[in-house]
Amino acid sequence: MTTHVGERVSRVDGRAKVTGKARYAAEHAAPDLVHGFVIGSAVARGTITRIDASQALALPGVLQVFTHENAPRLARGDKRWRDELAPPGSPFRPLQDAEIRWSGQPIALVVADSLELARHAASLVRVEVAPAPHETDLEAHRERAYKPPPHERPSVTPPSRGSADKAFARAPVRVQAEYRVPVEHHNPMEPFATTVVVDEDGTLTVYDKTQGVQNVQSYLTTIFGAEAGEIRVLAPFVGGAFGSGLRPQYQVVLAVLAARQLQRSVRVALTRQQMFTIGHRPTTWQRLSLAATRDGALAAAIHEAVAETSRFEDYSETVVDWTGLMYRCDNVRFAHEVVALDLFTPMDMRAPGAMWGVYALECAMDELAVALAVDPLELRLINYAEHDGNEKRPYSSKELRACYHQAAERFGWSQRDPEPRSMRDGDLLVGWGMATGAWESTQRKASARAVLTADGRLAVASATEDIGTGTYTAMTQIAADALGLPLERVTFKLGDSALASAPVEGGSFTVASVGSAVDAVCRELRSKLLKLAQQLEGSPLARLRPEDVEFIGGLLRARADPSRALTFAEVLHRAGIDHLADEVTTRPSKAHEKYSRYTHSAAFAEVKVDPELGTIRVTRVVTAIAGGRVINPKTAESQVIGSVVWGIGAALQEHSVIDHALGRFITHNLADYHVPVHADVPDIEVILVEERDEIVNALGAKGLGEIGVVAVAPAIANAVWHATGKRIRELPITLDKLL
Amino acid sequence: MSILRFHLNDRPIEDAEVPPTTTLLNYLRQRAHLTGTKEGCAEGDCGACTVVVLDAETDPAAPRFRAVNACLMFVPMVQGRRVYTIEGLRQNGALHPAQAAMVERLGSQCGYCTPGVVMAAFEACYREDLHEPWQLDDQMCGNLCRCTGYRPIRDAVHMVAGTCPEDLFKRRRAEATPAALEFVRASAGRCYMQPTSLAALWAAIAERPQARLVCGGTDLALLVTQRYQDLPELIALEGVPELRGVGRAADGWFEIGATTTLTDLEAACMGPLRPLTPLLRILRYFASRQIKHRATVGGNLCNASPIGDLAPALIALGAQVVLRSAAGARTLPLEQFFLAYRKTALQPGEVLAAVRVPEPSPGARMAAYKVSKRRELDISAVAAGLYVETCPEGLVTEVRAAFGGMAATPARARGLEAALRGKPWTEATVEAALPALAGDFKPMTDHRGSAWFRGQVAENLVRGFYLETAATPRPDLPPRPAATVRLEVVP
Ligand SMILES: Cc1cc2nc3c(=O)[nH]c(=O)nc-3n(C[C@H](O)[C@H](O)[C@H](O)COP(=O)(O)OP(=O)(O)OC[C@H]3O[C@@H](n4cnc5c(N)ncnc54)[C@H](O)[C@@H]3O)c2cc1C
Ligand code: FES
Ligand code: FES
Repeated sequence: MTTHVGERVSRVDGRAKVTGKARYAAEHAAPDLVHGFVIGSAVARGTITRIDASQALALPGVLQVFTHENAPRLARGDKRWRDELAPPGSPFRPLQDAEIRWSGQPIALVVADSLELARHAASLVRVEVAPAPHETDLEAHRERAYKPPPHERPSVTPPSRGSADKAFARAPVRVQAEYRVPVEHHNPMEPFATTVVVDEDGTLTVYDKTQGVQNVQSYLTTIFGAEAGEIRVLAPFVGGAFGSGLRPQYQVVLAVLAARQLQRSVRVALTRQQMFTIGHRPTTWQRLSLAATRDGALAAAIHEAVAETSRFEDYSETVVDWTGLMYRCDNVRFAHEVVALDLFTPMDMRAPGAMWGVYALECAMDELAVALAVDPLELRLINYAEHDGNEKRPYSSKELRACYHQAAERFGWSQRDPEPRSMRDGDLLVGWGMATGAWESTQRKASARAVLTADGRLAVASATEDIGTGTYTAMTQIAADALGLPLERVTFKLGDSALASAPVEGGSFTVASVGSAVDAVCRELRSKLLKLAQQLEGSPLARLRPEDVEFIGGLLRARADPSRALTFAEVLHRAGIDHLADEVTTRPSKAHEKYSRYTHSAAFAEVKVDPELGTIRVTRVVTAIAGGRVINPKTAESQVIGSVVWGIGAALQEHSVIDHALGRFITHNLADYHVPVHADVPDIEVILVEERDEIVNALGAKGLGEIGVVAVAPAIANAVWHATGKRIRELPITLDKLL
Repeated sequence: MSILRFHLNDRPIEDAEVPPTTTLLNYLRQRAHLTGTKEGCAEGDCGACTVVVLDAETDPAAPRFRAVNACLMFVPMVQGRRVYTIEGLRQNGALHPAQAAMVERLGSQCGYCTPGVVMAAFEACYREDLHEPWQLDDQMCGNLCRCTGYRPIRDAVHMVAGTCPEDLFKRRRAEATPAALEFVRASAGRCYMQPTSLAALWAAIAERPQARLVCGGTDLALLVTQRYQDLPELIALEGVPELRGVGRAADGWFEIGATTTLTDLEAACMGPLRPLTPLLRILRYFASRQIKHRATVGGNLCNASPIGDLAPALIALGAQVVLRSAAGARTLPLEQFFLAYRKTALQPGEVLAAVRVPEPSPGARMAAYKVSKRRELDISAVAAGLYVETCPEGLVTEVRAAFGGMAATPARARGLEAALRGKPWTEATVEAALPALAGDFKPMTDHRGSAWFRGQVAENLVRGFYLETAATPRPDLPPRPAATVRLEVVP
């Protein structure tokens, strides 16, 4: 039987994307569409005392300037503003009051006939503000840190164990260091945008850039007090999101508000600069204290972190847990706190928490290896965790050892001279570094609906998303295999709030969650079809056991005798029905609770540093990933390569610089917020390590969207130390810090 | 009163209404409803808006496709020309090789960067001057992708670069003749005029003395797309043939027309301007191919940014600027052209017509440098142009050391120069002279680098220059580690 899962299948949406046919949120047409342009606050904290929009309103073609003074009052109470992923607190409510909470906060929406006019009119709106003192500097306000209330997600810090401080004090080899990481912005290439189409019956079709159409739909329905059927949210294509689309962004509220008030179709798109006024990866301070016996066994590990949150929500992520989880150690202490600043609430960004927590841990491990004079890889193997020490339970699977060995071998790690500054390439200093990565693998409740029609075509749908991750392709593959159909006969639909329910697309759990539902519903159809076929008069398949019938190329066929076969179409036709349909909901199995489920990785990096100018280049990265079953090696590899490049960005480039005097990000464009460009990308080798896991889900797939990024930044930071002998404990490592 | 006329995907467009400072990107997305071309930044940084223009005007003997950023072009900039967007590439339903390669190599994930990438690859398809691997990096460096990690894109571009398929586009290019670029739209207090002769330019300037000049628009258009300014009166220079092209004057100096684009300058530096290698070094790290296809030498100098990249290299080479007006022409050493922060010596009615560069003397040592946080597609923290001549005894007879990023204008380090002049060109002399730099400049601190860092880098550049030119007085192009793929251009 031909299968598609595990094959190097090209994207099913590739053609739409290379021809410009794929339409994104700002590209859906509507008759009489008008454009909204957002005015953001210029100060970080204060109260709006006056807004004068008269000049803007005087321009022909300007329809309205919405402000907190004239916008309708939406739902009351924090609870109704809390979307599926809202952290504890009081979510921001656009245009509901005069208070300014962060620089760039939307304070008005200008709506006009054309985008240019709206933009120009916006420049004529006069805003007076009574500013209040703001605080945006995490370091300066660390004394205000507090323990955040627990979040519903697994971001409750696990209990400390043993007596870490005592063990640390007594141990013969110790390292203690502080690590600092900056704010980063997701910067997907598509800026946030919403097009609201007002249909004739007054219902709203909302094309939004989001990772969760149903999250946005229920949020909008609640805050606008609308009927469930009144608002439908669509996002067939999303130009990247990386977590920034998990929660509804403010432009969707503004666009719907304007459309409802004006009874006109409205588009609101953010500019690249405005992309720096939404959520971000929080700046975080960390201190790692690691102690070991002389033979390298960890005796104590203390991981302390203080991260930023906003004044109105307690965002927190899983930063410190990794230290108790990734290595074997009996004495572990965690401390995780946040400081509320006058910035917008941070948001999950690719591998939230792990990105920073594992960075600090893995750099500290490197420092410990130096202190012990053992090879950094050897140190990891000495302390290899066979069990999850935090939860005290086994892993559902963990092929990290294979990751280490295969990647080290391919990289040539055994040739490394441990002495820093010892390896050269002409005038350049060469450094080799490595690190470990881990990321959780979860499955959530999800549903999928499938319809098999008399022409032998299968249509499967679920309200999930494809933010570039390849959901369209992976689901098509899974569905095709479950029914033995060629890919061309299967379509998968997503990005529509009216479809079978699915969780937001994030946390690398889409394949595990929605994939399981798709697999299950197609298997359901398979049994129904077989049953139908066997009930037909004179059925060639009568009385065969299910395992004796194969589904192949749109046929049901007896394994033992290929001449005994029926096409799907024949079965439906002879049974006198024109289609078979079903919807199935899948949930994580009970076995889940007995195991810890993680993906793992090892990354090895080579850097070359110009000692005169401090310029750093990553020249080579080899990474091995253990992520369970791989649905499509082609898209998987591509995900991992993209992640590695994110790691390079985090290590060397990405930095949202805050001017604390203004309380504002000043690197708020792609000229100053550096992401890697074409020529920054080195030779990258991805090894997908074989890993069987029967517990995570029926497919055995763990998800690969995030694991690839985790180990890369620390591997590079460690390589920079090896090249130069300098420990730069603050990201990004830029040339000025090295000189 | 001109009508905007151009061919969009081979369909003729005529538009008498569109305001001339509408960007080509907004025209395509909002008016033509061709949303395949994306907006990622509206400031030339991401390449999502890349489209291709067929240019037969620069060199009628060799028309070429130019990938450009539609977000920084005002619509009259395509007057008379052929513009191709992602929607126009399929022929009879079949994907263009650049599209097919992207599907096959999985060059897109979320797909938002993809149309721009395909258009940049489309230009690469028809390039016949791809000889070195770095050229492909340069071709693609203006296209940001946040998803794929670039390698699949590189593989895809690699498949098609330089293949010159025998297709409609190649035929269109072969048949192309210079377009009628003239465009005049004028009313009380507003105008956009694109004259096509020097005489018409002087007439336009006389008629609209308040008008701003625009050439490639890569600096000026930002006022519209980022600052939301209204530019009521504009006079465009790119249609004036007298201001374009490179050559050699009767006195043997090289002459570079002010409206010469940086890609054309780059090509010239690999040909007739080969003696000016320091320029080539700088151009390799200048912006992106899309920007360089529009950005001009004159625009870069007249913008008078303290971190403009061409000025230090040109000053070091001893360049002069030729300023012309209806009344005549005058010539100034380039360093005297910059008066203060973003202020030049241009008088009302004057345009920068050309840059003149003497042929460097045979034994001269020279090099130019650009140091930025991100190597490609970044603004300099510090740029330098360094030039030293020595006599047979080894003493320094002529020295020009020019820096960008160190002061309010690009400027020479007079103290450093004085400390080197007349001394033997040795490491000891260089070390002894370096402290003078601290007297020459008081650089500022910003997110591109601290004052201390800039000072340190400037010193290290002079040191590096000494070492680099010790063996070869004119070090060739810097080692530019390019893609790991090999370049096999199919003839
Ligand atoms: C993404 C991006 C990256 C960039 N990277 C770099 C870089 O790496 N290094 C760098 O130095 N610059 C860079 N720039 C700046 C810019 O590209 C250059 O300065 C370019 O050379 C300007 O040329 P232009 O023809 O586009 O100028 P325009 O925008 O047309 O004009 C610029 C100014 O010069 C005036 N002007 C133009 N031509 C003349 C003339 N002949 N006579 C009198 N006045 C004239 C105009 O009135 C205007 O004030 C970058 C810009 C962008 C958008
Ligand atoms: S939109 Fe980013 S370069 Fe034009
Ligand atoms: S594919 Fe998403 S930005 Fe390139």
